[in-house]
Amino acid sequence: MGLNAPLICHLCGQEHRAIRLEPGEKALCVRCDAVLAQGVRARSHTALVFAITGLALAWPAALLPFVSAGKFGAERISLLFTGVRILWNSGMRALAVLVLLCGGLLPLAYLVILAVLHAPTRLDRQKSCFRLLVRSANGLEHWAIPEVQVLAVLVAMIKLGSIVNVAIGSGFWCYCAMVFSLLIAQHTSRFNPTVPLSAAGATGAAVPL
Amino acid sequence: MNLRLAGARFKNAPTAAALALAAAAMLVPANLLPVLTTETYGQSRSDTIFSGAVELWRQGLWPIALIVLTASMLIPVLKLVGLGLLLLGARRGASSDSRRLTRVYVALDFIGRWSMLDVFLAAFLAGLIRFGELSTVVPRSGIVAFASAVVLTVLATQAFDPRSLWRAAPSSSS
Repeated sequence: MGLNAPLICHLCGQEHRAIRLEPGEKALCVRCDAVLAQGVRARSHTALVFAITGLALAWPAALLPFVSAGKFGAERISLLFTGVRILWNSGMRALAVLVLLCGGLLPLAYLVILAVLHAPTRLDRQKSCFRLLVRSANGLEHWAIPEVQVLAVLVAMIKLGSIVNVAIGSGFWCYCAMVFSLLIAQHTSRFNPTVPLSAAGATGAAVPL
Repeated sequence: MNLRLAGARFKNAPTAAALALAAAAMLVPANLLPVLTTETYGQSRSDTIFSGAVELWRQGLWPIALIVLTASMLIPVLKLVGLGLLLLGARRGASSDSRRLTRVYVALDFIGRWSMLDVFLAAFLAGLIRFGELSTVVPRSGIVAFASAVVLTVLATQAFDPRSLWRAAPSSSS
């Protein structure tokens, strides 16, 4: 998208004319102060690198021991999706699917989309599949919430500390690193969801039309 | 040129209001029914969201109790109150409060996800604490109601079109 196309604020609908931004500069909507566009400080491939790193870390995070708990000699090792399986077997299938989606599958899908969007052979931005990917990334931003799962695990471990012996497994560290990679990829993305779809990829700032 | 933003056709105030009302209704069983049952040495103890947080406070884990109370009780209520204000603001159209209400919308959009904390917590505890008669954590129906309320509030926020707060407002010009 070039500088000729107008930027429309996704919060108030105000139209702006695009101008070029320096790295680190932000263009704010003149009416509601929403961020319309940001001058990219990171290199264009930073998001790609972190998205691929996140994808690579997702597999050990899912397969390696997440947390282990011991009590009176009995030890139980939990994987990332052990809780999902228990919820499913308890008949709470909708809840199991929700946890699986928000904590596992959607973050993975989000990383895949970010990697595709920032791949060296970039898609034609005018094509419908490109717009669909950007739209999907914007939608996934609300539902891919692995950072909340990390906080939940930390809360649970403090809560359990006085009851059972809890030990963090390597899967948990991989998951934390995956979450970190996802957040960096999201933050450095040229298709940041805080910037409206009509401005995706633009390096423009805004002045009102 | 069609300047309408993607997804705008799915956004309208009645849908947001209906979803917010459904979320408010689901918050009642979510707070009254037990979310987890802990069985230790044959003794069983069921906790609602509030009683679980109170128990944490009694154990001296007040920072954790505050996190749980904020994520599971304060944020859902704040979201519903905020959505109510937004829907009233949208009915009124553009006013001197439009900028403030737009900030409320941005805040609601950000904080909504953190309500999922209790759902992840229940799933994690249910998966980890299974020591037979020694100790077992079992999820209860309250957590399903709570998850429904959280999903509905997120959907309600997404269904709300913040541009309705600015309807009929003249465009700014420099």
